[in-house]
Amino acid sequence: MSIWNKLEKMDRRWVYLMVAISVVIPFLFPMTLPISITPEAQAVYDTIDALPDSSTVMLVFDYYPSTIAECEPMAIAALHQFFSKNIKVITLSNIPLGGPSMAETITRMMAKKYNKKYGVDFVNLGYKANYVAVMSGMGQSIEDIFPTDNSGTPLSELPLMKQTKNYDDISFLFEVADNATADYWVSIVNAQFGVPMVCGTTAVSAPKYYAFIASGQFKGLLGGMKGAAEYEILVGKKADAVTGMSAQSLVHLLIIFLVLLGNISFFIGRRKSQGTA
Amino acid sequence: MKTTVPVLVAFLSGLILVVSFFFDDKNWLGLLGQELKIWLTIVAGFTLLLGVVSITRVNWSAVQRKKEGWKFKILTLIAIFAMAIPSVLSPDWSIRFGRNEGSIYDWLFQYLMSPMMATMFATLAFYIASAAYRAFRARSAEATLLLVTATLIMLWRVPMGEWFLNLFPWIDIPYLLNTYIMGGINMAVQRGIIIGAALGAASMSLRIILGIERTYMGKG
Repeated sequence: MSIWNKLEKMDRRWVYLMVAISVVIPFLFPMTLPISITPEAQAVYDTIDALPDSSTVMLVFDYYPSTIAECEPMAIAALHQFFSKNIKVITLSNIPLGGPSMAETITRMMAKKYNKKYGVDFVNLGYKANYVAVMSGMGQSIEDIFPTDNSGTPLSELPLMKQTKNYDDISFLFEVADNATADYWVSIVNAQFGVPMVCGTTAVSAPKYYAFIASGQFKGLLGGMKGAAEYEILVGKKADAVTGMSAQSLVHLLIIFLVLLGNISFFIGRRKSQGTA
Repeated sequence: MKTTVPVLVAFLSGLILVVSFFFDDKNWLGLLGQELKIWLTIVAGFTLLLGVVSITRVNWSAVQRKKEGWKFKILTLIAIFAMAIPSVLSPDWSIRFGRNEGSIYDWLFQYLMSPMMATMFATLAFYIASAAYRAFRARSAEATLLLVTATLIMLWRVPMGEWFLNLFPWIDIPYLLNTYIMGGINMAVQRGIIIGAALGAASMSLRIILGIERTYMGKG
């Protein structure tokens, strides 16, 4: 068996080992890599930057815990930008599997850093089943759909919600999602109620949303960990996404190398076997 | 009767929601539409409860019959109720109840469920690398095109790859990829898919409202 045949039939555990090493090395020996800013990420930052201070926005945690690595840095960076501009934040989630918990934990953690008070500067509405009815119903009255917040406090007792009745009082929407809920936010809340919005999503989902960028329905887009890293740089708070780019760089390069190696070994192996036949 | 009532309910619900879209909350039709949306969230809440009942019945039955993997099914049942029961109890009784910070539910979510789900998803990187090595072959012109495009996009989306692409100063490859691949060819294809799916969803909704489509009742 030639070296090319051996390479083609390489045990998959060697591939796993290479991936593991590529992920671990950058965390042991951190590298500083220049990260360029795409126009889509710049547009996210600029849109929020242009919002008037003290306006009210919605930050939607529509992602599962499985995609925390990509989505959570986006939500944290967004809260940095919102709270530093004294923007009031209403969070909610259409994901029953931990969405409201992630919204609660992250928003409270960020609120402590900026001395923000619950009920006055931010509110977590939590989760309510059937996102189409939720998004559509909030257009008439948020309180109809969410009579209480995530902790069970009636909205009528929260100062921020007294002045926020429906989408007319929402200046902007930031959707962080790893699934198709962004499609509904854009088709219901943006198209029907005219709320300007941006979306932060996983690298796998990002290509789909270029259609909404081109139509002007999304003011900006953050795609995957790279998008999150760009946004962290823009808000001046480098954190997990910037750190993770080194590992992601090495794994991407490894996969490209493996694909090239696999093709070279495949074609040389095939040519040799045709030659012997 | 078993068919007529659900078809009538679907027809009236669909019709009211479609018509109420054109009226605001000052009109009785707009208010009726809003009321139906509130009902929808309540009905959807009950479907979650139905899911819990169903998973409990299926797993409990497997445990009783000691089917293969029944020990894991016990773990599933324990996990469901260990998270669900403390989360629905009132935090007024104990700070460990409810879903707030410091509750049992929060602890289980933060330190068990969240890391486990992230780990499961992260293992995909290993399988993707292995699958790419074994299956991603330039066997045809289409496959070669896909391979070259995917390679360039993967390079562009990471700093090391972008550095490499910028080694060719006479051509701005990252700009070309973003503008013509992602914002051009990709966007056009995605737009086609989105419009196609929306038309499909609209026609399916219309079939349900008019009672032509009855598979949701278990009928062909």
